[in-house]
Amino acid sequence: MGCSSSLPDRSSGRLVGTNSENGGAPDAKNIRVKLVLLGDSGVGKSCIVLRFVRGQFDPTSKVTVGASFLSQTIALQDSTTVKFEIWDTAGQERYAALAPLYYRGAAVAVVVYDITSPDSFAKAQYWVKELQKHGSPDIIMALVGNKADLHEKREVSVQDGIECAEKNGMFFIETSAKTADNINQLFEEIAKRLPRPTTS
Amino acid sequence: MSSDSTTSSTSTDDPANGNPDPNPNHSIEDQLASTSLTDHGDQRTPSNQENRNGVDYASASEGSAGSDQREIENSVEQVPAEVAEEEVRRSSDAAGGLTEVEEELNKGGSGRRSVVWMRTNSEVEVDGPSSPSSSGYAGERGSSASSGGASGIDEVVEDEIQEARNDSVDAVLDSQASWVPGKRHVDEDDASISWRKRKKHFFILSHSGKPIYSRYGDEHKLAGFSATLQAIISFVENGGDRVKLVRAGKHQVVFLVKGPIYLVCISCTEEPFESLRGQLELIYGQMILILTKSVNRCFEKNPKFDMTPLLGGTDVVFSSLIHSFSWNPATFLHAYTCLPLAYAIRQAAGAVLQDVADSGVLFAILMCKHKVVSLVGAQKASLHPDDMLLLANFVMSSESFRTSESFSPICLPRYNPMAFLYAYVHYFDVDTYLMLLTTSSDAFYHLKDCRIRIEMVLLKSNVLSEIQRSLVDGGMRVEDLPIDLLPRSGTFPHLGQHRLPTDSPETFRELPVGVGGPAGLWHFIYRSIFLDQYVSSEFSAPISSPKQQKRLYRAYQKLYASMHDRGIGPHKTQFRRDENYVLLCWVTQDFELYAAFDPLADKALAIKTCNRVCQWVKDVENEIFLLGASPFSW
Ligand SMILES: Nc1nc2c(ncn2[C@@H]2O[C@H](COP(=O)(O)OP(=O)(O)O)[C@@H](O)[C@H]2O)c(=O)[nH]1
Ligand SMILES: [Mg+2]
Repeated sequence: MGCSSSLPDRSSGRLVGTNSENGGAPDAKNIRVKLVLLGDSGVGKSCIVLRFVRGQFDPTSKVTVGASFLSQTIALQDSTTVKFEIWDTAGQERYAALAPLYYRGAAVAVVVYDITSPDSFAKAQYWVKELQKHGSPDIIMALVGNKADLHEKREVSVQDGIECAEKNGMFFIETSAKTADNINQLFEEIAKRLPRPTTS
Repeated sequence: MSSDSTTSSTSTDDPANGNPDPNPNHSIEDQLASTSLTDHGDQRTPSNQENRNGVDYASASEGSAGSDQREIENSVEQVPAEVAEEEVRRSSDAAGGLTEVEEELNKGGSGRRSVVWMRTNSEVEVDGPSSPSSSGYAGERGSSASSGGASGIDEVVEDEIQEARNDSVDAVLDSQASWVPGKRHVDEDDASISWRKRKKHFFILSHSGKPIYSRYGDEHKLAGFSATLQAIISFVENGGDRVKLVRAGKHQVVFLVKGPIYLVCISCTEEPFESLRGQLELIYGQMILILTKSVNRCFEKNPKFDMTPLLGGTDVVFSSLIHSFSWNPATFLHAYTCLPLAYAIRQAAGAVLQDVADSGVLFAILMCKHKVVSLVGAQKASLHPDDMLLLANFVMSSESFRTSESFSPICLPRYNPMAFLYAYVHYFDVDTYLMLLTTSSDAFYHLKDCRIRIEMVLLKSNVLSEIQRSLVDGGMRVEDLPIDLLPRSGTFPHLGQHRLPTDSPETFRELPVGVGGPAGLWHFIYRSIFLDQYVSSEFSAPISSPKQQKRLYRAYQKLYASMHDRGIGPHKTQFRRDENYVLLCWVTQDFELYAAFDPLADKALAIKTCNRVCQWVKDVENEIFLLGASPFSW
């Protein structure tokens, strides 16, 4: 039966580019990767994902419950394709204890803050520490300052973002889900940093 | 118009006469006849014997419409305890009652009906000096449900809440059609006049008096008010008595204490105490669904713990639940309802859900809006209808579930209030969604596979398109009530093949045309006790506006509360007539029927029609209920 529990659990054999679609042989050209977005509620995680996956921006806020799952495949210049399986988490306090559920086994973590909110920047640093303690040891982390279009209300400087990222060995970028600025770049940069499977 | 003459064309209108029903065993005629409550009942003080027999009967004299006022007064005096106490308690508050009437008028329903309402005004304007018998009933109730005015709490509350008057804002916003999700009036606090005038407040607060949730206004601005409520609760609790109900003028203040969490409703909607208490229970359940009961531990560590951040973003879940108290009968029936579907279609859906349940899914539920298409539980697991209501409310009110598939921790308070389950939620279209519940936090990819498989089967067997068709066609309509009583194979008369011809030789022709079904039947709800499911007829004229629907549900709710007040006997019936409706309620071990008729409907015909409704429901039960889901037994 198609979903008997004896089937290999995809979530355990997961990630870091070792799995290809539909249970076929691992394929160096087709990488599948589990990515989790973390950050305070309201910083724009869902908007970033929806901009990336659907090319849309909906300004009416739809508070995420638990975590949403979306996927998107991109093609790189070396003709590799990367399929992102994205967990967009809620970020609310009640789910903090359940976050490991979503970041466990993730190859990539994108930690988002809102450049107009120092609180959200502090929260981002909390998530970075949490991931260093409990995430996969070889996890790729990106620090994202979102809502870059609101530069007139900026309260977290680019420099602070860069410093925090460097200190923690992260890749840093500022984005705007609203204007689509740097959204694709974010995911392309992540894709470039993925380890390529060496198995044939 | 004399109702006696309207029924003269049939020889069976007298309940005590011959019984035309093919199911003599459970005929409602028998019920009413055996209680010997003929039309002009003169037992002004029903004996306890009758009450113990489970007979609950509010008779209205059947006479000319011109003397409504008198009749209704009579009927109030006749009613036995369960009914009388509500009316009598109000009689001590005649001024408040009149305010309520103004309110109804100003909220502007149908003008004509409002005038009639004003004139007859049976529900509110009960004559002042209550008879010795009725005050006795009131006292009985007072001792069981509330510490009443004796504690001197009334005054405290009255200071805080002013009389609610015409709240035209709420009248508009409360209608289902114009309801917008989310919290309103956040700018208000307990100093605002508008806030004080709201007809129904709900609060959640902690035992230390910290606000957790408020229906209106910003919780943080209501800290002082919360502290007052907390003071009232602890004052009474220290006295060894648990406060449940306080009456202050026309307001009822209902308290529910759940460990460190207090829930309070302040209402001047005239809903029975039991209903308001049930609503508080549901609000508490909704909170548990989001957080589990382990949130209590936070209060053990820190009594001053602030819970509001934990509920961040869930205002919309609570406001949608509170809104459903006025349109969703599941909130007081404690039963769920199914989307009408051909038996084979529901079977096809059930079969694939069963496959999935066998692979380690605890519950697989396919729903369309708040109606169940099919649902299956793993062996021995059973899902309480209240849990389903709360789960569906949670999913439907949280927009993010529509955006993409998701996997969220949720708790089913009746299943296990201490533990999270994990819910995979996916919308197949704007109305239809699948929920797969599991105990395993790792099961997402498995559940996703299950959903893909389910989706394939649903598409192949046209389930999704049939669901859409059913949505368009609607459910049972009173106009389609079959007029003959021959048993028929269960087909769903959507196309009106059973519709009453206008030139019918039957007895219903003298009723006003174009309103409702035969014998002035306007609406019904049938609840199967064994299945924990109910079916409700579609609303049709004259119960067409959301406001009228809400009023009818309130009337049903009141009926439900009075029927369930002291445990259900094997058979109970209730017949009420007021200026809005004739309401008929019939409770047996197998089902409960609530029916609303034209206020001028003939009683005997109404009773007969109720039997027909029951027969009709049985005829089409394959299509309106989810039957025989094997592991799904309560
Ligand atoms: N100006 C601006 N607003 C944004 C941007 N991204 C998100 N928002 C807004 O921020 C709010 C929260 O976004 P959402 O994606 O739901 O946040 P999440 O809780 O992190 O998922 C919404 O009202 C969005 O419209 C952005 O790049 N620029
Ligand atoms: Mg979100």
